[in-house]
Amino acid sequence: MRLLSLASLATLLLSPALAQDAQAPAGDIKNGEKHYISDGCYQCHGVGGNGAALTGPRLSRTEFPYEAFINQLRHPGSDMPPYEASIVPDQVVADIYAYVKNLPPSRPAKDIPLLMGMGVK
Amino acid sequence: MADTGKLDRRGFLKGAVIASGASIAVEAHAQSGAPAQPKAAKAPLPTAAQHAAENDTPSELAPLTTTKTGSDFMVDVCKTLNLDYMASCPGSTFRGLQESFINYGQNKKPEWLTCLHEEVSVGMAHGYAKVAGKPMAAMMHGTVGTQHAAMAIFNAWCDRVPIMLFTASAGPVEDRRPGVEWMHSVQDGAATVRDFIKWDDYPWSLQSFAESTARAYSLATAQPPAPVLITADGKLQEMPLDAKASEKLTIPKLNIGTQTVADPNALRDVARMLVAAQNPVIIADRYARSQAGMDNLVKLAEALQAPVIDLQNRMNMPTTHYLCHSARSAALVGQADCILSLEPVDLYGQLNRVTDQLERTSRRKAKADVKIISISTHDLMVRANYQDFQRYSAADISITADAEATLPFLIEAVLKESGARRSDFEARGQKLREAYKGIADRARADAAITFDSTPISGARLFAELWNIVKNDDWAFLTSNNYVGNWQHRLWPMEKHYQYIGSSGGSGVGYEPVAALGAALAHRDAGGRLPIAVIGDGNFNMAPTTLWTAAHHKIPYLAIIQNNRAYHQEVMHIQRMANRHNRGVENAVIGTTITDPNIDYAKLAQGYGAVGIGPITDPKDLADALKKGVAAVKAGEPVLIDIVMQPRG
Repeated sequence: MRLLSLASLATLLLSPALAQDAQAPAGDIKNGEKHYISDGCYQCHGVGGNGAALTGPRLSRTEFPYEAFINQLRHPGSDMPPYEASIVPDQVVADIYAYVKNLPPSRPAKDIPLLMGMGVK
Repeated sequence: MADTGKLDRRGFLKGAVIASGASIAVEAHAQSGAPAQPKAAKAPLPTAAQHAAENDTPSELAPLTTTKTGSDFMVDVCKTLNLDYMASCPGSTFRGLQESFINYGQNKKPEWLTCLHEEVSVGMAHGYAKVAGKPMAAMMHGTVGTQHAAMAIFNAWCDRVPIMLFTASAGPVEDRRPGVEWMHSVQDGAATVRDFIKWDDYPWSLQSFAESTARAYSLATAQPPAPVLITADGKLQEMPLDAKASEKLTIPKLNIGTQTVADPNALRDVARMLVAAQNPVIIADRYARSQAGMDNLVKLAEALQAPVIDLQNRMNMPTTHYLCHSARSAALVGQADCILSLEPVDLYGQLNRVTDQLERTSRRKAKADVKIISISTHDLMVRANYQDFQRYSAADISITADAEATLPFLIEAVLKESGARRSDFEARGQKLREAYKGIADRARADAAITFDSTPISGARLFAELWNIVKNDDWAFLTSNNYVGNWQHRLWPMEKHYQYIGSSGGSGVGYEPVAALGAALAHRDAGGRLPIAVIGDGNFNMAPTTLWTAAHHKIPYLAIIQNNRAYHQEVMHIQRMANRHNRGVENAVIGTTITDPNIDYAKLAQGYGAVGIGPITDPKDLADALKKGVAAVKAGEPVLIDIVMQPRG
């Protein structure tokens, strides 16, 4: 797979057709969960795909289309370490994608009184 | 003394050695098998002790006690510096000074603090100075103590924090006892750390000690501030000081200078450049050292109606102010046509980024034609060896001056130049008010994602903590970058003492030791609730801080962000493994702190502090924090071990 430019990545992210993610291959959620840990995704993106400000964005219920997701993994446009197919095969990527895409939704902030009560308004 | 042929104390010891040696020689001869010489029949020689007893008189013995020593005078000198504390791990090279401080000096101003490692002594002084706004002292054993302290000194140097450091040496060669005193003696006590202190001296007289110590204090506190080091010679410390010699000694008046301010012509040019800009941005880095510094930054931002990016190396800008836009840093820098950078630690890094990939590339974050203004004391203290000066970056106007002292004059210049632009500024300010409203909402949305997660997230920790301490006069002792920086995103940070930035040199071990010193300053200020969030790797460098806290009754809440790893290094090794296509499963080797897991609560209890945890369930967090905060309010140092997400 060729490295996508930032512009094409942005196109991918913004394209309604791809956002529907019709082309994502079938993935094994259970195997994806296993590899999310063993392949070290959680180290930067958090256990449960929550993301962290300094290290990696949220992956839980990602809006990334699969094509952009695997491209970021193979040819990261940022400081993310690259994962080649010899280390994480395409099928495992699909499994991880299925796992993070289907993680349970978090509560919205407005439903969490502790967050709404925090200082800065 | 007239030569009476009698032995003084040293002569007695010398005689004892000679007599003993003669006795061994006779025995060796007897065992050699050589023919024995006929012995004269005479009485045996008296032993040295017998000889001494017969010939010495008590009145001629060297004096064994005295009422005043050089170290007493050294204490007199230190008392003129308004030092509240001297932190130290004991060491024989400064035994004279220590005894003088605690007895002659009555253990007041400064009070002697017992630390269990020199890194703790110096790190305490680092954190203390950032809250108290004045230096504290730390005493280090000759050679080995300075070596222990070196990393903490480096952190303070990089962080531009003043510390009065003292070390010692055993004195002239003819006076040293064989063995250890030589190991702990040094020709040049500062050589180990000279690359990262501002000034040092090894005074060879008491008068010189007085003048050098006063000079050291003045230099340490002149902007940019930094640690200074005085070596107290052992002989000077322990020499008797009679009244006549004392009369000749003087302690100089302490010279505290005003700080360097930019010249008016340069400030007028800066003001014109800022006023003319359409999208000016102010970046505050290691800028504010006082509440006045914060207040003036607000005034400047309001005068220009310009957004402020607080890089959080100090508490610079109130998070509740509508011109505080730190969360929009990337967008603001990218759009700016004029950037004013106040005390930048890394001007190049503010404007550029370098990727961490196999082939490193750099990319400009700011526009190519953006006007850059820097006001900084950075260039006044640069050394060749250690590279904390960062990559060279030119500015359109570079002013070498103290930004905090300069700001009132810059505000005046801006107000003078901006008359015709006031309505434009108000319109810009209105847009910034609107943009500010979204910042907290986005932070809450981000926090919600991790709120219910296990392991516990930083967002959950800070939300639960806020609910418990929101009515207290709280202050953070650590930067909390690795737990998501939620205090800057969602807490109302409005007072300068509520935050003190980070280590400066990124030397691991800063967090527990600086937290202890900062907590001490908060204790003395009265009524504050000091809170530190300390990484488990960081804590393991100096767990003994808890004993010092318990012993000296310094209350603070130490929350261990327990991710059971040196997690930054986990990610580095993972990056290398990926780069080499070898898989990441071994990245835990040499980086994680598991098998066995450390029981931090027990560790704290062992040192005499309150220990709570480990807390693994988010539902148990509130109760643990409530107990911890209550114990801190009762005067206890408290550790809560919270098993947390690797980051954020």
